[in-house]
Amino acid sequence: MSTQAAFATALLDPQRPCPEGLFSANGADPASRFAVYRNNVQNSLINALADSYPVVSQLVGDEFFRAMAGLYVQRCPPQGPLINDYGKDFAEFIDRFEPAASVPYLADMARLERLRVQAYHAADAQPLRHEQIAAALSDPQALSELTVGFHPSLNLLTSAFAVISIWAAHQQDATLAGIELDHGQNALVLRNGLEVEVFAIDHGAGTFIQNLQNGQSLTQALETAPAFDLSQTLALLISHNVITHLHHNQVSP
Amino acid sequence: MTATTRTLSATALVLALGSALSIAAVSTAHAADDNMEKCFGVAMKGKNDCAAGAGTTCAGTAKTDYQANAWKLVPKGTCTTTMSKTSPTGFGQLEAYKAKS
Repeated sequence: MSTQAAFATALLDPQRPCPEGLFSANGADPASRFAVYRNNVQNSLINALADSYPVVSQLVGDEFFRAMAGLYVQRCPPQGPLINDYGKDFAEFIDRFEPAASVPYLADMARLERLRVQAYHAADAQPLRHEQIAAALSDPQALSELTVGFHPSLNLLTSAFAVISIWAAHQQDATLAGIELDHGQNALVLRNGLEVEVFAIDHGAGTFIQNLQNGQSLTQALETAPAFDLSQTLALLISHNVITHLHHNQVSP
Repeated sequence: MTATTRTLSATALVLALGSALSIAAVSTAHAADDNMEKCFGVAMKGKNDCAAGAGTTCAGTAKTDYQANAWKLVPKGTCTTTMSKTSPTGFGQLEAYKAKS
């Protein structure tokens, strides 16, 4: 193992001894200096996860969260220099993390919080003005063949749990009393201006929006979606400024 | 798809989009009015200053103390205040865990 690899490995695992061949400028014990450095590295990464997953942290408590995050840091050190990207697959880690199994919605909460961070950092995009959307009404046949371009921040999450209600409760008094936990919810996450917003939408509306995001035309997207309120769903997308393009379907039958 | 359903859905789309635009116009006009809470309700927003995630201005500085890994794997968050139909206490699924430790 190269010196660098040995140093990096020891940095991530507190069980490992101080790498050999280290010296300190003032003659202090290299092992104690290395322990402080290792602690800083791990704490800064754990803090980064705590910043990105505040509700996950609240759900399990600080002590549990930091312990869980510490194991994640050891197994999944950063692959890139962007700290706000760190922990992208934290939800998948939580899925497999046995001690967290007693909080079955924890991984989905991590997914929701990740989508929020992603939405914050998604690229800007100019939404269509209402007049531009209204112009599409003039040709009903063309309208049904239109495909819709969404703001890059827009994302969906389908959960078997009431993940949005739980998340919303933690924006206020953190009491979950009255929430039916296993009442599945569909989340729509988007950034409207500089504000990231979360909506609970119908299953049908979620399917419709997902279909549109996959490039289906308005008609195609409607066909496979369970019943939902189309007007309200379109109004939601329009009033929160996430429709950025209306394209005429190039491959018409 | 038959011509009839195509015409029907096209008409339905025009109606839906037309009404969506008027709903959106109303909600935009009343954007400042918190009482305009209907159907979809208002967006839920995060209160946390750190909502933009790690690396943003409120991210903390690292501690320099070296802590041993002495922790118990027992979640101690708000989960325990959660209603549970299956639990005898009526609350959270973590009670069993706590009893064991």
